[in-house]
Amino acid sequence: MKIAYNFAFFDEGSKREIRRATLKAIAIPGYQVPFASREMPIARGWGTGGLQLTLSLIGKNDVLKVIDQGADESVNAVNIKKLVTGTTGVKTVEVTAEATLIQSRHRIPEIPLKEHQILVLQVPLPEPLRYYEPSEFVTKRLHAEKEYSGAWLMLFEQIMKYGNMSSGADHPVMVHDRYVMAPSPIPRFDNPKMNYSNALILLGAGREKKVYAVPPYTKVVSLAFDDYPFEAERFDGMSCRLCGAAGVFLDELIHEETGETYHQCNDTSFCLSRLNSVSAKYQEVPLNE
Amino acid sequence: MQLNIVHDTQIAYRKLVDSMSRPGTISHFGEQANLIGMEAGCYGTTVLLAMVLLDTEVTFKICSEREEELAKLFNRLTYAREAEAAAADFIFVLNDTKPDQLEQALHAAKTGDLVNPHVSATLIVEAETLTNDTDLVLTGPGIKEANGLRIVTDGCWLELRNEKNSEYPTGIDMIFVDRDNQAVCLPRTTQIRKRVND
Repeated sequence: MKIAYNFAFFDEGSKREIRRATLKAIAIPGYQVPFASREMPIARGWGTGGLQLTLSLIGKNDVLKVIDQGADESVNAVNIKKLVTGTTGVKTVEVTAEATLIQSRHRIPEIPLKEHQILVLQVPLPEPLRYYEPSEFVTKRLHAEKEYSGAWLMLFEQIMKYGNMSSGADHPVMVHDRYVMAPSPIPRFDNPKMNYSNALILLGAGREKKVYAVPPYTKVVSLAFDDYPFEAERFDGMSCRLCGAAGVFLDELIHEETGETYHQCNDTSFCLSRLNSVSAKYQEVPLNE
Repeated sequence: MQLNIVHDTQIAYRKLVDSMSRPGTISHFGEQANLIGMEAGCYGTTVLLAMVLLDTEVTFKICSEREEELAKLFNRLTYAREAEAAAADFIFVLNDTKPDQLEQALHAAKTGDLVNPHVSATLIVEAETLTNDTDLVLTGPGIKEANGLRIVTDGCWLELRNEKNSEYPTGIDMIFVDRDNQAVCLPRTTQIRKRVND
């Protein structure tokens, strides 16, 4: 394949800079390592942090999967895939188990990741303390002193106002008992998947110019109180309308004409592989039986 | 065949990521290191890692009998500048150096501060051999239960490293390379115990 750009878009100097930041991020789990964050051909805030990590990691033999909020085929995922394959020629897949590199926006896949895989998450706001402290100068010092009372207070205020911790996504986590970290806007449902994950998880924030990491087998605890324990979203009694899966993260949809509410798997490749395995089972049975 | 600066350094980097995120995992760099095709006076993997990590934005220090010669070579290959051990981002401690130089390098290496723990040195140390024998027991992030590691080298480093890394998150990260072009990483989070024989 003839590529008009450098392999993986970047010049080698840019890759090296991201690579050095990534190695430091792995060595200090949960700590946000600043990096230069190059200009990309997609707008900042549209996954440039994740994209830069992916481009610094990717090689000719990698198999790439890109997910946008659980879907392989939505605009953000398709554009990122196009850019990466256009500058590298690597194979892209939808089946999670076949990928070596998975870039994702706002979800961790349903099926458990494997040791040889690397998950790259796109992060819009890497600073978990930003909501109550606008100054980067100050938040860096709060992290330095492990002064996280603000993060706890934020959750406490939610309980006082709403009766529970109302963080819909991006519920802060404590990594390796040291850093409070924004897990990127994954639903609370996915937070436990970060704890002692088999795969390396890298998080990149392009606009905010930060890279951070959760190495495999690292303790990641969602912040919670003894009397208000952390709770993931629950889908009791609900299942996917298409594949029937229960116990997975479901999207709630409303039928435009009938107004009926139904649910569907958020992870489209998981749903599709279940549907395919069901249809394969039917095909095994001869039609005349 | 020559070292491909794009693809071979990418392969080497991914192996390094693998070893850094799973401390105790020994990665093999022979295939890429052998493509360098020069007699540098240090291990091929050391030169390879310099090419993966160094450029004009960072500084390095070489601890070796032939420091001047090798510093020139690294500068020519990567455009990185040499600096004093206390200021260097990467410190290379080569096999031909005196055992106490490893200790000196460890003493001098910068550990970053609590606000910027990433402004710390990475030590790349040439050892004789690396194996997964359970001489040292590694635990910490990246390790499922415990990993065994045996590093044959002259210098004393273990206690000094523990001392340097006592105030986490400040600390130093180490990469050991051996004669067989293998490398293993010990980030600051890794807890190392010497195995006591029964």
